[in-house]
Amino acid sequence: MPNAKILMTFPVTATSHTLADYRARGGYAALDKALRTMKPEDVTREVTTSGIQGRGGAAFPMGRKWAVVHPNDGQPHYLCANADEGEPGTFKDRWILENVPHLLVESMLIAAYALQVRHAFVYIRGEFDQPYRRLAAAVEEAYAAGYSGERILGTDFSCDVVVHRGAGSYVCGEASALLSSLEGKRGYPRNRPPRLTVRGLYQRPTVVNNIETLSNIAWIISNGGEAFKKIGHEKDPGTRLISISGHIERPGVYEIEVGYPWRKFIYEDCGGIPGGRALKGIIPGGISTKILTGKEIEPLTLDNPSLQAAGSSMGSGGMVAIADGTCMVRLLQVLVRFYHHESCGQCTPCREGMGWLHRIIDRIVAGEGRPEDIERLYQISAWNDGTTICGMGDAAGYATSGILNKFRDEFEYFIEHKRSRFNGTLECLRSS
Amino acid sequence: MPEIFINGQPVQAERGQSVLEVALANGFYIPYFCWHPELSVAGNCRICAVQVEGRSWAEIACNMPVTEGLRVLTDSDVVKEYRKSILQLLTLNHPVDCGICDKAGECKLQDYHYQYNGASSLSRDPKVRSTKFHALSERIVLDNERCILCSRCVRFTREISKSNALGIVQRGDVSLVRAAEDHSLDSDPYSDNIIDLCPVGALLSREFLYKARVWYLEPTPSVCPGCARGCTIRIWHRKPEWKLNSLDPRLNARIERVTPLDNDEVNGPWICNKARDLKQIFERPRAERAMQKGKPVELDAAIEAARRLLAAAKHPVALVSTWGSNEELDAFKRTLGARVDSLVKQDWGPQPGERLDDELLIRADKNPNSATACALFLDRDDPAQALPEDVDLVIVWGEGFDFGRVPRGARIVFLDAYLQPENGHADVFIPISIQTERRGHYTNFEGVVSAFEPCFTKKPSVADAEALFAALAAPAKVRT
Repeated sequence: MPNAKILMTFPVTATSHTLADYRARGGYAALDKALRTMKPEDVTREVTTSGIQGRGGAAFPMGRKWAVVHPNDGQPHYLCANADEGEPGTFKDRWILENVPHLLVESMLIAAYALQVRHAFVYIRGEFDQPYRRLAAAVEEAYAAGYSGERILGTDFSCDVVVHRGAGSYVCGEASALLSSLEGKRGYPRNRPPRLTVRGLYQRPTVVNNIETLSNIAWIISNGGEAFKKIGHEKDPGTRLISISGHIERPGVYEIEVGYPWRKFIYEDCGGIPGGRALKGIIPGGISTKILTGKEIEPLTLDNPSLQAAGSSMGSGGMVAIADGTCMVRLLQVLVRFYHHESCGQCTPCREGMGWLHRIIDRIVAGEGRPEDIERLYQISAWNDGTTICGMGDAAGYATSGILNKFRDEFEYFIEHKRSRFNGTLECLRSS
Repeated sequence: MPEIFINGQPVQAERGQSVLEVALANGFYIPYFCWHPELSVAGNCRICAVQVEGRSWAEIACNMPVTEGLRVLTDSDVVKEYRKSILQLLTLNHPVDCGICDKAGECKLQDYHYQYNGASSLSRDPKVRSTKFHALSERIVLDNERCILCSRCVRFTREISKSNALGIVQRGDVSLVRAAEDHSLDSDPYSDNIIDLCPVGALLSREFLYKARVWYLEPTPSVCPGCARGCTIRIWHRKPEWKLNSLDPRLNARIERVTPLDNDEVNGPWICNKARDLKQIFERPRAERAMQKGKPVELDAAIEAARRLLAAAKHPVALVSTWGSNEELDAFKRTLGARVDSLVKQDWGPQPGERLDDELLIRADKNPNSATACALFLDRDDPAQALPEDVDLVIVWGEGFDFGRVPRGARIVFLDAYLQPENGHADVFIPISIQTERRGHYTNFEGVVSAFEPCFTKKPSVADAEALFAALAAPAKVRT
């Protein structure tokens, strides 16, 4: 099938991230077009027409999120680009920030125009060093060239872009926690209602979008929403950046058209599993999506409708390949340790539940598992399902119950024999 | 006015209310830890769940806005199971050391556990250990193991007392409530409210620590005399049936603690730390014997001597106490008001380091009943001025008078409750009862009248001011 490209349309070179190169590739033409020939509502209409869904994990239609904000209701609005890419296995936004920061800046300015935003923010995770320097340089260049700041391109539209660095918390990637952190508060997620598009940053309507989602806007404005809708799956249009890691020959970031076949992606584009081993499972979209076994995944295509039918989702596009022979008990231990470490501690089910999960799985791995532990893991996962302020409790529950559902026998084996059925490591040994 | 249905019964709600507020206002109990009517909604304890009819899951009620026709269940099987799960999680790392916890008996976690869960913990793993006695301030000790991180105390210091003294550090199950910086809570005059706010035994009064089991105590409604606000309070003391014979009788009749008496008209659910420390005012050494020129005499003899002095005086002046109740002040006016020149005296002024006034509760006038005193008596006492030279009798009612202002040769009748050197200098000293030994009313600066009840019985050798004034004004007894 054809594999259209929207983001990875140029060879990465030592200067491809600069303004000069970006302009040579036709950069900032979409901003010019939007500001000079379109009204804010025209921009929103194109985005709604395109049918683009959020790429951060929840796949919420971008147009519907924007439609809640009324650009002319007489109060300030804010736009915030979520560059706190912290989902384990996900590193796709880093590619944009490092290689086309101007695409993000341009797209953000178009979005800011559509929503009549005077101040747009990029919340970038503190661990991102190179991406931060590239993005900060791009913002500087954009100011110098008159693309942002006062009276952009000589029009009446003004918008400042502020880059804010996070301080290393997974939960701050959750939109409301991100805004709290941006306000200088503790990075606690907020209760809904109200939605952030009603009361967000500084209690004003705020749109928080993922970096990849936003970066598509320049293309949508240049080529039209209808053109975008023709790419990819009819219910999930466009392309997606997939970051693949784990037991795979060629890990990295790939752009695929939504609906691309899994088999072809794994075995041709990514070179298959090292050592020719079988594919035991795939975590398809960051560790918070439910794991699928190799058998389940191979007939599927890379799009949300297909994955949701299989009980998982594309999530944030952070894919982890797991080769045959990997101990799933150890894998779950790694995941749960992460959730325990990153739980913000605000609400009860996640604060207490993550530690409980961690203690149980640690005990199983130490050979002191008890038969009732599996039920307990299920129970704690269920207690976190839909009961927490943000989605992290659910995510941890999905990860846990997902692995337990598919590989329960390995846990039973571990508890009974006090050791892994495999060699107990997570590394993929090529010589096996 | 949207109408909603709770457990099938129609209930009138107001726009902007949450389901929890509507339920509580209409007699449907929903358990809650972090929610408080005066604080912002945090929604972090997750216990206040209800089930919306037609949905299969439980949702928190404190953050659920009412909408026309909303139908919720507070007691469905889904909700019951959900509450059990939250209580399992809350007690997971809770030390369950109720046996040595001051909060036992009035602890939400304890109550809810017995009411809604009752099962033992499903965990067999070690609990997360934490700090047991963290001195949050000079007055408050924090037990982090008992803390359920409901953030009520943090929100109180941000939204009510505005000291911003508290925050949460660390994250996950090792999160800790901590003072923003050393001593930041010490300078918050409302800090002890967080002890009441704490739904578990995490925040404890260092003064009250291990002093008494709350079920041996009972509260008496009273009014704080600390300033003109007149906050309504509860004074806690031992129940009569739990008086301990082996204890010093004074320990059976002491103020164990003071808590606010919720009152929308005056103080809401808050009081300042001065009210908590009322024992520092009321439990000073008491004057229990009447005296004439420093020599102990019987109460009746002292009253008769005072009466004679008054009857013989040409220009008597009285300094009226702003700590007198409405009844006492009224009795004074009725019996002695025409006979003496009355000056309203400020018994108490601000102490060193005490907050003068603020926008929440504390008033600059540190007396409880200036409002009534000033309404009944027109003249104010000026502490900087000596009394007129022709005054030949000074009746001083209450504290805060400089006896150096009395003209040479004038006689002094002194009515007070506490042991002080001045008592012996007066021609007649008559001990009177204090607020915790009688009933009465104070009128606060806004004109709100609040009642106080007696907690303890007064000694027979001590007079009640109301009766005393009548005796002083009475004509001479005819000897029979």
